[in-house]
Amino acid sequence: MLIIKPKKYFEVCVEAEITPDLALKKVEEVKKFKVFYGNKIVELGELFEISKEGEDKKIVLGGDFSRVKWVGTRMVDGEILVKGSIGTNCGAFMRGGRIIIEKDADDWLGTEMAGGEIIVKGNAKNLVGCAYYGDAVGMSAGKILIEGNAGNYVGDKMSGGEIIIKGNAGDFIGMEMRGGVIEIHGSCGFVGGDMRGGEIRIKGSFEVLPTFKKTEKGWVGDVNVKGEGVVKNF
Amino acid sequence: MLWIKNGVVVDPKNRINAEKMDLFVKDGKIVEESKVKKGDCKVIDASGKLVVAGGIDMHAHIAGGKINTGRVMRPEEMRVVRNIAGKFRATVGRVLLTAPAIGYEYAKMGYTMSFEAATPPITSPHTHEELDAIPIIDKGALPVFGNWHLVFKCIEEKNLEKLKSLIAWTIERSKGFGVKIVNPGGVEAWMYGGNVKGLDEQVPGFAVTPREIITWLMRANEELNLPHSIHLHCNNLGIPGNYQTTIESIKLANGLKNEKRQILHVTHVQFNSYAGNSWRDVASGAAEIAKIVNSMDNVTIDMGQAIFGHATAMTGDAPFQFTLHKLIGARWSNKDTEVETGAGIVPIGYLPSNPVHTLQWAIGLELGLLIESDKVVLTTDYPNGGPFTEYPYVMAMLMSKKMREGELKRVHQYVQKATTLPSIETEKTLYEVIHMTRSLPARVMGLDKKGHLGIGADADIAIYDLNPLTTDFSNEFDRVYKAFKVSEFTIKDGDVVAKKGELVKEVFGKTFWVDASKKVDVEAVIPDVKSYFDFYTVQFSNYGVDERWLKKSKRIEVI
Repeated sequence: MLIIKPKKYFEVCVEAEITPDLALKKVEEVKKFKVFYGNKIVELGELFEISKEGEDKKIVLGGDFSRVKWVGTRMVDGEILVKGSIGTNCGAFMRGGRIIIEKDADDWLGTEMAGGEIIVKGNAKNLVGCAYYGDAVGMSAGKILIEGNAGNYVGDKMSGGEIIIKGNAGDFIGMEMRGGVIEIHGSCGFVGGDMRGGEIRIKGSFEVLPTFKKTEKGWVGDVNVKGEGVVKNF
Repeated sequence: MLWIKNGVVVDPKNRINAEKMDLFVKDGKIVEESKVKKGDCKVIDASGKLVVAGGIDMHAHIAGGKINTGRVMRPEEMRVVRNIAGKFRATVGRVLLTAPAIGYEYAKMGYTMSFEAATPPITSPHTHEELDAIPIIDKGALPVFGNWHLVFKCIEEKNLEKLKSLIAWTIERSKGFGVKIVNPGGVEAWMYGGNVKGLDEQVPGFAVTPREIITWLMRANEELNLPHSIHLHCNNLGIPGNYQTTIESIKLANGLKNEKRQILHVTHVQFNSYAGNSWRDVASGAAEIAKIVNSMDNVTIDMGQAIFGHATAMTGDAPFQFTLHKLIGARWSNKDTEVETGAGIVPIGYLPSNPVHTLQWAIGLELGLLIESDKVVLTTDYPNGGPFTEYPYVMAMLMSKKMREGELKRVHQYVQKATTLPSIETEKTLYEVIHMTRSLPARVMGLDKKGHLGIGADADIAIYDLNPLTTDFSNEFDRVYKAFKVSEFTIKDGDVVAKKGELVKEVFGKTFWVDASKKVDVEAVIPDVKSYFDFYTVQFSNYGVDERWLKKSKRIEVI
């Protein structure tokens, strides 16, 4: 288990593609891992205190990581435990393993993720499990659980997997969605624009677009794109 | 001063075919041996290497509103980092490149000039701003005329003098190079959601037809005697059965003659050579097109070759772009350029497993192989058919039947029955391919100092690691492809700018533009032009580009 703590407040954001693979390396090697601090390439050891306890494939990020981006990018197994909040693009392109965030997550959580699990104990911001601008497919497998609220554009272009939000969400949920499930236990705004497939379940209130047909299954659409997605209360 | 020693020179314009000789460069020009002091020369040893003029891309979309909108709507294209800032500028781009990347990539490949193929006159400030950001290569831009209300008005009035004045005024104001026509009448019809289907269909709101637009602009262009002929993107582009429209358009050049160059250049003909009635039974019409082009001595074309992989369709042909968007379901941007023209952008990719894409790929090659080398220029209509960085692929394919056989095996077998490509035995010679990429485009564009290595020519030279005397072009296609992909040396105006694919020096090329305003009474059209500024969003005094705004202006005066 590798424990990483920031040495100072970061004036500009750090871009650190930290994955559990680092936990298998020696502390000295980990300290030399290259990260971006603003526009400069620096070593991880310059910005963070690093220590090691045991050999399991796990990383614990202590302290404030809300200005650290790209944590868990492309990870395939192992576990990352974030004790505080995390910065943007956490778990992007993730294929397996688990990320647990004890406070809040920033934008682009689990973008284009293809497996694994992300658990957020606090709130998440916008663009959870979506596709990067210009790409055709967002989240394709795996699970994202948010115990608090989420922002706008949840599950944009999602084609598989599961997003569960225990609180409320914003507007434009499941836009251009093709498959998978989004479950919102609270309320949200507009849902399912240009949706082709998949299912959005909402416990509270939501705003349905005029391009959805009411059927026994729930609201089916989006008819604009001959979609067969389902939006319903549960 | 530069002394290129012992190179094997291929220079079709001067009828030099693989002769061992020395070249001397002084003040950016190729000079005679007696004009240089050999002791002061920087010597480049080119023994056993191919020495040719720098390549000329006569039809690409490298600057202006369309490519910029393409960049904006395709962020995924910008994730390939090509160069990190340092001695040279940071560049990114997969197929759609940033402005500096365009200059760098051309230079690395041994190309030294490129033309932006369609710029609405009103957006010329933007086009020139971007052209000025492209390093190394020489540039030019072709303003579009085929859907401009003012052009329609001159033709309705049957006033050739006024049309000539309008062309001369516009080309001077927009610092353009020639007359481009995109889907004549069709883009105007698109303003009402339609298109024109044939040469004799009337344009909505105007008493003109596409046939009249093409012939009148052709006549005006010939009477002005501009360096380049009209540059035509035919009607019905990208529609099965369109090869007949293309043939009809080509026939419009009958009866006119110009001693120096063609009367009509038809561009990216691959997109205009489809037979059949729908995408289900689409086939190649390239053989018919080749027959008519070969039979006429005043028409040239360029290929518009499709390359497998990513591309972005961007043309001034706005109705076609909408059709394409509906057909493939990809993102679409539409542009309406005031009373002048329109445009559209749609991302595409060409897949070897897709029958239609394979057909497009095959048609481009058919055109290149079946048409005489003196009439067909090698282009991919960048970025419509694919990246210009794959020109070496097309060059190698034209020169090797064996390479084509190998490629035909890996593509969708629809091409076997829909095209004649599998049965074509022709292998172009190196001499012909060098002509198609250097001296021919220079002649088509009317540039006598470009595309050759004669005394007095601009010292734009490319040296490749390929000995034409010992290379078997039919069998060693892999080596040929690799050799053309990266030049040993690229020399621009006498400066070595790239060496073995690494940039050495950043220079800035010239922007070529044509001034024919002395040839006609430009004032004659000014009242008409001014009356149209009721419909423009800019004022008359703010229209166009002043010469002092250009980084390096090269005015070509027509007298």
